[in-house]
Amino acid sequence: MPIASYLQILIGVIPSMCAGILATFAVTLIFKTSYTTNFAQGVISAIGAYVAVELTLVYGLPLWAVAFVGVIVAFIVGVAIDVLIFRNGRYVNALGKQIITMGLISIFIGLIPFVFKVAQFESVPVLPFIHLTQGITVGDVFIQYNTIISLVVTVVLLVAVFILLQKSKWGLSVRATASNEIVAGMMGINTKVITAVSWGIAGSFGAVAATLYIGNVTLSSGYIMTTTQINAFLAGILGGFATFYGPIFGAVIIYMLNVLIGCICIHVPVLSNWKPAIVYFIVMLLVLWKPHGLFGKKMVKKV
Amino acid sequence: MNKLNRNYLNMPLYRAENERRSVENTLALLNKLRKNPVVGYVIFALILTVTQILSSAGLVNSSFVYAIGSTLIFCVVSLGFCLLLGYSALASLGTAGFIGIGAYCTYYCLAEWGLTIGVAFIMSIVIALIVGAIVGYISLRIEGIYLAIVTLGISQIIKEVLAALVDTIKIKGSQITLFGIDSLKLKTESIFYIIVGMMLLLMIITHNIMNSPTGRAMLAMKNSTSAAQAFGISLMKYRLLAFMISIIYAAIAGMLFMLYNRYVSNSSSTLFTLSTSLNILGAVIIGGMKSIWGTVAGTFIIYGIDKMFLQDIEFFRENPTLITLFCGILVVVVIMFYPGGLAQLLMEVKYKVEAFIRKKKEGKYGKDLG
Repeated sequence: MPIASYLQILIGVIPSMCAGILATFAVTLIFKTSYTTNFAQGVISAIGAYVAVELTLVYGLPLWAVAFVGVIVAFIVGVAIDVLIFRNGRYVNALGKQIITMGLISIFIGLIPFVFKVAQFESVPVLPFIHLTQGITVGDVFIQYNTIISLVVTVVLLVAVFILLQKSKWGLSVRATASNEIVAGMMGINTKVITAVSWGIAGSFGAVAATLYIGNVTLSSGYIMTTTQINAFLAGILGGFATFYGPIFGAVIIYMLNVLIGCICIHVPVLSNWKPAIVYFIVMLLVLWKPHGLFGKKMVKKV
Repeated sequence: MNKLNRNYLNMPLYRAENERRSVENTLALLNKLRKNPVVGYVIFALILTVTQILSSAGLVNSSFVYAIGSTLIFCVVSLGFCLLLGYSALASLGTAGFIGIGAYCTYYCLAEWGLTIGVAFIMSIVIALIVGAIVGYISLRIEGIYLAIVTLGISQIIKEVLAALVDTIKIKGSQITLFGIDSLKLKTESIFYIIVGMMLLLMIITHNIMNSPTGRAMLAMKNSTSAAQAFGISLMKYRLLAFMISIIYAAIAGMLFMLYNRYVSNSSSTLFTLSTSLNILGAVIIGGMKSIWGTVAGTFIIYGIDKMFLQDIEFFRENPTLITLFCGILVVVVIMFYPGGLAQLLMEVKYKVEAFIRKKKEGKYGKDLG
């Protein structure tokens, strides 16, 4: 039954898609408020996941309770990065900021084995919220409860954050800071706080993404979120960083392309090794066609 | 008598004059050589060669020299990256992928198809260039800042595609042939000489590029894209050129790595992962982005010290990530507080020492009024 297997592939992609969408929002938020691409996003998320896994495996606490601790730690790490580093390096140019985030990756990767006992484990078990064999069967398609949890958490978070962005005072401040930091400051918005909180929110979104992600993959190293992060960046380019919703659609498109190629791979097994390459290649072609992203607009540079 | 006398008197004077001139000429030549940076590179290469000769004679620990060789391979990558980052202000995270392309091409040429090093060399460069041209053309078209993102993705794809081809690549010593020389005689030592030779060649080429109109165009582009365009510099052309050069260097380094180590396992090695790209970036930034010597020194700080000295200490062998942590902290600190890096630090120390000596002399002999 091919349609059932297509659907099964679609369902299988959903957990990583949820992680990807959350990571994409985090990257976009930082891009818009701090004008840099945060390469350390993946490793900050991984720290959140490490906290949760450490508390679960070493101290024996239930995962759903300590996931919040991981999220809070990631929030604090995010705020700390902004307050300690970016606030002091305001005159660093765009490239310098990018490089600082690359340096942060090295710092966190170096720190993880010293801080977390889990990093010394031979192998870390997969930690889903509900055991992976449990789920519901619809027709011929099996849906894990864990997948449903990922989907619900992601949708709730996204809807909440978009409502906040559109309706709340905080959202207005973020949008103002994103469009022009200096003018926003003149209008009485405390841009420092907005930027710091944005870093915190990005960190905690990343942590949520990572905690959902380790329900399917073992937490092997601090680089665990690299693929998700790459997808998030590409989603940002594909959708265009000009809007908040563009990158989210970009992420959905990238993961749906994965599903599409996956379905083709059922009939042409030779392609399966080349799956990521094909997906990236299509994304590249789309970007070549629309250099400012599918939903982007040309940003006019004022001299 | 008069004539004789004159001859008698003039000859030595003439000779003295000649001698004086020849000494002056020699001094001028020496001075010229002292100022020519290529001499420094040659001396560096000679010192390295002597180290290897001493090691063959059993006077220097061979693992120490092996560590130097491995570090030099990464120096080659850093030199290319120095042109990209220091001269064109483009940050790429795809270095590891292109090292992978070089390594795999070498493996296929030597181990699978039985070709010579020369063919492997050309193959690695050509394939890396084709991939680089496509990637560069698309990503540089968008905006400079996105290059890092796209290359990060590309590097990941290259790694996965290479792993899909074959996971473990291994070359036997007998499969390496150079100019038809009996292959078994080409030991690790001779590969070391190839690495040093390649390093010297690339240092000179890099130096020449930096001081050519191309280098100046890149520097202009780095400082102000608008001003550079106003002077008729094509941004796309020079960005792509810098990107291509850095890719060629990375591919060459991949080839050298394969010749020197002869074995890489894609799944277990960190060579083709993001950490290599980050380390190279760190090396160039710590070195000072624009200086060849700074870049070499930076690479030795990040790769060399660890391999040459720290591996002998128990504590560092058990905590291999410590060097990563150290590298990350250095990168952040250098970018935030000391953008000139190691090169600037050395320069300032030199000025300070010179000023100190001048002051001492003044104290002794009074101020130099001339």
